[in-house]
Amino acid sequence: MNDGPLIVQSDKTLLLEVDHERANACRKAIAPFAELERAPEHVHTYRVTPLALWNARAAGHDAEQVVDTLIGFSRYPVPHALLVDVVETMARYGRLRLEKHPSHGLVLTSTDRAVLEEVLRSKKVQPLTGERLDAETVIVHPSERGNIKQVLLKLGWPADDLAGYVDGEHHAIALAEDGWTLRPYQQEAADAFWHGGSGVVVLPCGAGKTIVGAAAMAHAQATTLILVTNTVSAHQWKQELIKRTSLTADEIGEYTGTKKEIRPVTIATYQVMTTKRQGVYRHLELFDARDWGLVVYDEVHLLPAPIFRMTADLQARRRIGLTATLVREDGREGDVFSLIGPKRYDAPWKEMENQGWIAPADCVEVRVTLSDEERLAYAMSEAEERYRFCATTPSKNRVAEALVRRHAGEQVLVIGQYIDQLDELGEHLDAPVIKGETRVRERERLFQAFRDKEIQVLVVSKVANFSIDLPEASVAIQVSGTFGSRQEEAQRLGRVLRPKADGGGARFYSVVSRDTVDQDFAAHRQRFLAEQGYSYQIIDADEVLAEGEEDPAR
Amino acid sequence: MGGDFTAWLRGRADEQLRALVAARPELIMPVPPHVEGLAARAGTPSAVGRALDRLDRFTLSVAETLTLQPGPLAYGELRSLIARALPHGSRADNRRRAAELDIALREAVERLRTACLIFGPDDALLPAPGVRGALDPPAGLGPPAADVFRHHSPESLTVLLADIAPAGTDAAEGPADAADPTAPPGRRLAALLAAPGTVERLIAEVSPQARAALDELAWGPPSGRVADARREVRTATAQSPIEQLLARGLLGATGEETVTLPREVALFLRGGRIHQDLSPSPPELDGVARDQALADRTAAGQAFTFVRTVEELCELWSHDPPGVLRAGGLAVRDLKRTAQLLDLPEWAAGLVVEVTHAAGLIASGGSVDGEWLPTSAYDVWRVKATEDRWAVLATAWAGMDRAPGLIGERDERDRPINALHPDLRRSAAAEVRLRTLSVLAAVGPGIAPTPASVIDRLAWEQPRRRIAHRDRLAEFALREAEHIGVTGLGVLSGHGRALLRAFPRYGSSHGRSYGHSSGEGSGAEAGAEGAPAELLAPLLPKPVDRVLLQADLTAVAPGPLVSDLGRWLALAADVESKGGATVYRFGEGSIRRALDAGQSAGELLAMLERHSATPVPQPLRYLITDVARRHGRIRVGTASAYIRCDDPAVLDEVVADRRAAALRLRRLAPTVLASKTSRASLVDALRAMGYAPMAESLEGDMLVARADARRTEGQPLTRAATATGPDPDIVAAAVRAIRAGDDAHLARRGPSDAPRGQVPRSPSTATISALKEAIRQGARVWIGYLDSQGHATSRILEPARMEGGYLTAYDETRAAVHRFALHRITGIADVN
Repeated sequence: MNDGPLIVQSDKTLLLEVDHERANACRKAIAPFAELERAPEHVHTYRVTPLALWNARAAGHDAEQVVDTLIGFSRYPVPHALLVDVVETMARYGRLRLEKHPSHGLVLTSTDRAVLEEVLRSKKVQPLTGERLDAETVIVHPSERGNIKQVLLKLGWPADDLAGYVDGEHHAIALAEDGWTLRPYQQEAADAFWHGGSGVVVLPCGAGKTIVGAAAMAHAQATTLILVTNTVSAHQWKQELIKRTSLTADEIGEYTGTKKEIRPVTIATYQVMTTKRQGVYRHLELFDARDWGLVVYDEVHLLPAPIFRMTADLQARRRIGLTATLVREDGREGDVFSLIGPKRYDAPWKEMENQGWIAPADCVEVRVTLSDEERLAYAMSEAEERYRFCATTPSKNRVAEALVRRHAGEQVLVIGQYIDQLDELGEHLDAPVIKGETRVRERERLFQAFRDKEIQVLVVSKVANFSIDLPEASVAIQVSGTFGSRQEEAQRLGRVLRPKADGGGARFYSVVSRDTVDQDFAAHRQRFLAEQGYSYQIIDADEVLAEGEEDPAR
Repeated sequence: MGGDFTAWLRGRADEQLRALVAARPELIMPVPPHVEGLAARAGTPSAVGRALDRLDRFTLSVAETLTLQPGPLAYGELRSLIARALPHGSRADNRRRAAELDIALREAVERLRTACLIFGPDDALLPAPGVRGALDPPAGLGPPAADVFRHHSPESLTVLLADIAPAGTDAAEGPADAADPTAPPGRRLAALLAAPGTVERLIAEVSPQARAALDELAWGPPSGRVADARREVRTATAQSPIEQLLARGLLGATGEETVTLPREVALFLRGGRIHQDLSPSPPELDGVARDQALADRTAAGQAFTFVRTVEELCELWSHDPPGVLRAGGLAVRDLKRTAQLLDLPEWAAGLVVEVTHAAGLIASGGSVDGEWLPTSAYDVWRVKATEDRWAVLATAWAGMDRAPGLIGERDERDRPINALHPDLRRSAAAEVRLRTLSVLAAVGPGIAPTPASVIDRLAWEQPRRRIAHRDRLAEFALREAEHIGVTGLGVLSGHGRALLRAFPRYGSSHGRSYGHSSGEGSGAEAGAEGAPAELLAPLLPKPVDRVLLQADLTAVAPGPLVSDLGRWLALAADVESKGGATVYRFGEGSIRRALDAGQSAGELLAMLERHSATPVPQPLRYLITDVARRHGRIRVGTASAYIRCDDPAVLDEVVADRRAAALRLRRLAPTVLASKTSRASLVDALRAMGYAPMAESLEGDMLVARADARRTEGQPLTRAATATGPDPDIVAAAVRAIRAGDDAHLARRGPSDAPRGQVPRSPSTATISALKEAIRQGARVWIGYLDSQGHATSRILEPARMEGGYLTAYDETRAAVHRFALHRITGIADVN
């Protein structure tokens, strides 16, 4: 019997016992071809998916290595069917190649005629290809480079894109490492991207993805288009780039709802790109406005579908995707793989935390028992109103207030979904509220005040979910959310995970009404966080309230 | 000749007879009364056919060579005939082959003699009676010239003869028959063609195209199709190559559009060889080398999974049994659902279901319910150790006469073939499966032969056996062996080898069919003797009694759990992922289930603490107490009927009444009584007690009954005994019985040879064979007959026909045709 740290299950999950002495070596060995699914305290679960195997192929690993790794680390015999499947799946990548032909432009080639015949017979491939040059080569319309990769992936024969990239318009960009340096993993991530050509870098929130983007730009030395989720995020990118690179404010343009600047480095929001006027995307020409040498996609997991379609036309340009998670709520991971590129770098949250790059966080769920009237009202409310009702009960607000009191003196964020509730909380706590109608200027002013510790409590709605940077928030209290989305959870946690100046830990509270749907959603959240390896506790609201009464000054 | 054979057989030693019966077990079913009966049975076409079916290609060729000889053949001559058929290569090759041939031929002859397919001493070997007929036509040869030209008119033959045997040259070439002008033309032609000189001369006359056509037919098949085969042709006018051949008798028309190459011509063309490229040893198996230990481990892992899957299936079906189709078997939809629940592809689910059935662990219920349910044997099986459970399943699989691989395909009437359906029986399934395994065993440890080479080897081993879809059955066997864990990475595992040893006809590595080539593997095997379960046990993962509890409410069992803990966890948590380890997830539902089963929150936590290597995570602790807090606040009970009455006093009365004791009433509230009896009987009972109750509609009835795990009343499948062959004890007993019967037979025959007015009594087999002989020869016989009144009479008969237990004959003593019941014929003798 082999005493390995890994147990290979027949459903293609890999269980890694973290306390095993060979666990670390094993993790390194399996990371290229298995996606980390759950990382609770003792046993981590990885999953071997076709995409993960193709990612591994793209990174230069072969099937034999994968099989050897599995057999070498596995405690029990590895199911034969799984090994066969690994070999077969991996053999599918790269049978087809997109290459540059000296006289015909872009061609699809294969040394395996049968495969080429099979895909060419597909109705979806036919309109994308042109003349058949010989038995192993067929012309592909250059504009269909992205589409054909998408289609081939769906057919199960992902193509290896070897057609290369245009250099784009040269523009000098250098990192200005004055008083700071690239962290080792940031360097590795940028290098891994550059050698791979195009692809996705997966780093947890707060790990400095912007800097990886900047490092990638320094590699490219070319004009860059940066696509971000919203205007606030665009400002932050701009500030960060001015601070971290040789770029000046004049070289960086913002292309948002209010400004339409096109400069050597242009930051555009997804929203403006996907705005339609009379059924047409008005701002598509931005992609052709300059000869971009690099396109940066921030928060790839939120990339909207129209951007995917636009990206399909950008296949000759280098692309880097930055994200905290490859999991997409809409399941379009395959499109990310074929259009942006394979995963180039990945580091688990927990390890980054152990190395001190992100703050350790404590997650606490506070269960609030509803009063009898509230319970009766809840039982009688309409199904679609139920969540709103139990998420915004007065009992809950009292607990939230007690929690704020508990952490008096610390920077506290209160996050919620429903505006009425937030307004009420803001009133009780005497704290400003940031919501959809708050102007950008006002928002930024409040954020700055919060950063400067002029304000200690800030109540925010979901508008603040993405890409805001609140370095000193050490406590977050969630009072309501959007039905337990995993992605939202990762984002919210990101708010408080940034390293603190004093190196202290972060707290993440969620206040939950007991015995209601709120609790069911909380169960999803709990699972997600525990799977990410965070310590998770459940306490009763009475504890919080009692302590608040005894010692209100605390 | 039949007599010679019987005498020879009688002269065989007991040990040799035992070997015969072991090799041909069908000869003692039923046990023949004496050696004569044994000889007669051994010569019947079906018995000879079955024996020949078991021969490998080389041994069969030896038998064919013997049947082609007109008379007895000495061993030396046989060897030189066979040697000619070997492929020719370099000198070293030839020398090696010759050495190989000596061993192989000696063995083949011995084998044929043991099986009584040939007989006689080494200097005069003869095919046994029936063999010549069963092997016709041998070696892909056409019929002899005499048969080919039988249907030609004498006139056309005379013309043919005149063309090819011009007067004056014949004397030098042909034997007497050919020259004799008075002999029938057919016989003259046959005699001519039998002379190599004539054939050589005739072939020299034809065009190269015609020669090429002959070469095509030389190695079989010996017939070809041409238009108008019976056309009239002369050597002088023959145009096409075929006409040239027809005109010379080198081809004969055997149908309107068929021409056939006479055997004599084919033998000439083959240059004195009867077979082509004959190989005394089986074809080599191609394969990849693998680490045997790794293969064993892989197989053990699969074995473990398989046992677990079977258990899962039985548990599943004991709560939710699928129905038996009206035509028998399991519905396609049920199989699909089962496959889904077991997380297996459909073929594998079909295999699991079939093996479970073959092992007697599930059966269709008695005639009433018609459901597939676990049998009581399952309960016995379930508590055994994993390795023993596997042995039960694997043995059932190896010996079952069904082909699960065919599930889901369509039969010849285009109906889908269902799992567990009687139509899934394939008589050859076990045979092919075990043979496939024995081929795997023959390559020796650490080699995974390719399926194609395994199938080639099977074809070499039993060339005559025309098993429908043999190749497919073999492929199924390979696939299934891997799934069950008999093989790992394509290599037969140690426990798989041990499994095969349980089937003595296939298990010994010194196999009957190619013993001379299987010496290689035996060295490594010597240490591996033992029962399959013993060999498997150390390879299986050790049961663990610790789980890892995590904050995401999962428990990971890093190996198979000791059974108590396993059952407990299955109750308190849901299985999320299976394999070497098991991942359980606790949830509100599962905790509630455990509480429902009578566990308390304290017990649950204590159990977790006892079996967790680390402290119980806070969220899990919280979950359990939280669910327990709400558990049982609402109470639900089982009752079949209730009594309600607005006046509690009346109910007091009812409860106090002694006659109500049998109704098992329980007071739920002042105005409500619950009862275990049915509504109807409750109403009746109350009426009998003098009340006037009114039945209420079913709404509000609180019947809560969970169907319990059920067991079928049906009998488990009795295993087909065919694959194992007869027991050595049975073989020995049969031989003893034959000997004894034979001695008695011979002893009785002596004095009764001289009939004194009374017809001698003779055993019924002798009677029947004598009657058959008389029918064939048209001879008269003298019989003793008990008439319908029971009087012994004696008759002189001229037997005509024998069928259905009756003999139809002309009775000379009564001068009429009568039917005689065979069982009333007391004896038979020649009319002298």
